[in-house]
Amino acid sequence: MTACLRCETVLEDGDLRCAICALLVPAVARPSAPVYAQVLRCGGCGAVVGFVAEAQAPRCGFCAATMAIEQPIDPIETARRRLPFAVDRDVAEAAVRGWLAARGWFAPRALASEAVLESLTPLSWAAWRVDAEARVTWAADSDAGALRSAWAPHAGEVSLVFRDIVVPASRGLRASECRRLIPYYALASAVTVEPGDAGLDTRADAGGAAGGDAQGDARGAIERFDMQRSAARQQVQAAIEATARVRVEPSIPGRRFRNVRVACLLERQTTERLALPAWILAYRYRGTAYRAIVHGQRRDIVFGRSPIDVRKLAALVAAIVVIAALIALAIIAR
Amino acid sequence: MPDPGANATLCTATFACGQCGAGLGFVGVRTETCPYCVSPNFVERPASAHRPRPGFVIAFTGDASVARGQLDAWLGSRSWFADARIRRARVEALRGIYVPAYLYSAVADTDYTASIGEHYTQTETRETKDPAGVARTETRSVTRTEYRALAGHHVGYVTDVLVSASAGLAHAEFHAVEPYDLRALRRYTPALVTGWITEEFSRDPDDCRQISRGGAIDEVGQRLRRFMPGDSHSDLVWRTAVRWESLEPILVPVWVLAVRYRDDRSALRVVINGQTGAITGQVPLTAWKVALAVALAAVVVAAIVLAIVRHGGPPG
Repeated sequence: MTACLRCETVLEDGDLRCAICALLVPAVARPSAPVYAQVLRCGGCGAVVGFVAEAQAPRCGFCAATMAIEQPIDPIETARRRLPFAVDRDVAEAAVRGWLAARGWFAPRALASEAVLESLTPLSWAAWRVDAEARVTWAADSDAGALRSAWAPHAGEVSLVFRDIVVPASRGLRASECRRLIPYYALASAVTVEPGDAGLDTRADAGGAAGGDAQGDARGAIERFDMQRSAARQQVQAAIEATARVRVEPSIPGRRFRNVRVACLLERQTTERLALPAWILAYRYRGTAYRAIVHGQRRDIVFGRSPIDVRKLAALVAAIVVIAALIALAIIAR
Repeated sequence: MPDPGANATLCTATFACGQCGAGLGFVGVRTETCPYCVSPNFVERPASAHRPRPGFVIAFTGDASVARGQLDAWLGSRSWFADARIRRARVEALRGIYVPAYLYSAVADTDYTASIGEHYTQTETRETKDPAGVARTETRSVTRTEYRALAGHHVGYVTDVLVSASAGLAHAEFHAVEPYDLRALRRYTPALVTGWITEEFSRDPDDCRQISRGGAIDEVGQRLRRFMPGDSHSDLVWRTAVRWESLEPILVPVWVLAVRYRDDRSALRVVINGQTGAITGQVPLTAWKVALAVALAAVVVAAIVLAIVRHGGPPG
C-alpha cells in the first residue's frame, strides 16, 4: 500500500491520480533504450496495427484482432466490512407494528389492523467510512462585534481530525433515509465480509435473500456500491466539507452565526467500504403500497411513509377556515 | 493558428520505417506514417527538459466520421448572422492530433482582504402631502448596507489546470474546447497513439508553468468569491502562494480541420475536442445581416421615442 507524496492519502491499486489532491502517480522509471522507428505488430498475424478510437485499443486491419492495453481502473466497489444485524425478523416486524399503531391523529384509525405486510427484507446497504485530517479555513457572519447590522464578518482557521464519517453510497435507500439511520450504528462492531456474504445485488432481487434474521449474522443482500470510484470520492469530499461546516462552529465567535463557509485542505484520508444493516418493509393499506425502514441494530429507530386520513385532514382545514372567518367577522364588527 | 509567442523547438530526426525501411522524417512529432507502405511508425526518444516523455494520455473516442458529424451539426447550428455559405463549406485536411499539454496541480495558500456588506433595516419617517395638499407622516422600512473589513486565509488544492504545450495550438484556442474528462486518463504507451499524429512538446515548460499558475490563481479567485460571507462583498484582494506544484506532461486528443467556404477567403480553422466533441472556430458574420439588424433596432427605438413625444411625454 503506497501513499500520495503530497497529501499522504492512501493510494489504491490502479489509481493513476490521488483522489484528494489529484497528484499523478508516477510510473516506474524506464531504462533508456536506443532510438529508432518502430511499428506495433499484431500478435496474431504480425501485421502492422494502429490505435482505433472506436475499439479504444490497437486493432489489426487484416485479422481484426484487438490488442489488450492498460485500461483506466475505475471499478464498481464492493463492501469489505459489514455491521452485523442486531435486530431479528420478529423484532423488526413487531417494531413496525408498533410504529404503525403510533402514527398519530392524522393516520387512519384502522391502519395498524388493516395494513398488510408484503415483505420484510434484510438489506446491508452500501456506505463509505472515512477518516481524514484537514486544515480548515472558514468565514462566517456572527453576532459578535455587530454594529448597526445584526451581523459582522469573521474568518479563521482550525485543524480538524475527521473520524468515522459515514457517507451513503446506496441506491436502494434515499439519502434522507440513510442520514436518519447513520447516527445509530455501532461502527466498532464491523466484521469482515466473507465470500458467502457478498455478491447479491439488491437492484436485481433483494427479496430473494430471505433468512437474514439470525441475530448478529446478516445473510441478507449486501448492496453493491452504485458509483464508480472516481465519482464516489467527490461525494466523500462533499460530505467532509459538510461535516467541517458544523465542526468549525465552536471556533466562530458569538452566539448566532450564518453563511458559514469552509475550505478544506485534506490530508491522510483513508476510506473503508461498509455494509450497514437495515430492514426494509413493504406494506399495503387499502390498495396503496408504502415503505418503512427499521434500523438493523436499533429496534427503536423506525420510520417511513404512512397514509393520511383525508377526512380528518379536510375536517381540520374546515375548522381552521371557520375560525379564521369568525375572527375576521369579529374584527369587522368592531 | 500558431502562437507567435510560443517558444517552438521543432525536433527533426530521420529514421528508417520499421516495416519497409524507407526514410521517415519525424518533424516535431513522435509518430509518422510511412508514405510507401502506410505503416504507422513511432519513436521513443529519451526525455529531456524541453521535450519530456508524456506520462499520460486521453484517447480519442471517435474516428474521423464522428468528427465530421460533429462539425456538420456545429456548422448547421450557427446563428442567422453567420455567412450562409458556411453550411455548404467543404472540409479540408481533417487531422486527428494528440496535442501535448501540461496538467498542473498545486496546494494554494491565499491571504485575502475584502469589504463585506451586511444588510440592516432602518425605519424612516418623512413628511409628505396628499393630493389635496394635506400634510401626512409616512413611515417606511429601508434596507441599508453596512460595510465591514475582513481579512482571512483560504487553503485548498487546485487541480485539473490544463495548458497547451503545442506551438501550433494557442492556449486560448485549446481552452475553448476544454474541459477534458480526466477520469479517462491512461498511462502513456505508444500503443495508444500509433496511427495518429502525435505532436512533440514544443513550448517551454517554465512558460507553461507560469500560464498554469495564472489559471490556478484565477480559480482561487472564483472560489474566494463564493467563500465570502455577508450579503455582498467588494474590494476583494488576494495574494496566493502555491506550493507542491506538479506539472505533468500529457497528450490530449484534438481534431484540427480547415473549412473552406469561399474561394476568395482563407479557410476557417476549426478545432474539435477529440474526447467530448466540443468545437471552436471563428465563423465569419455577414456584414449586410448585421447592418440590417442594427437598422431595424434603430427604427424600433426611433418609433418608441416618437410615440412618447407625440403623446406629450411622461406624466408630470
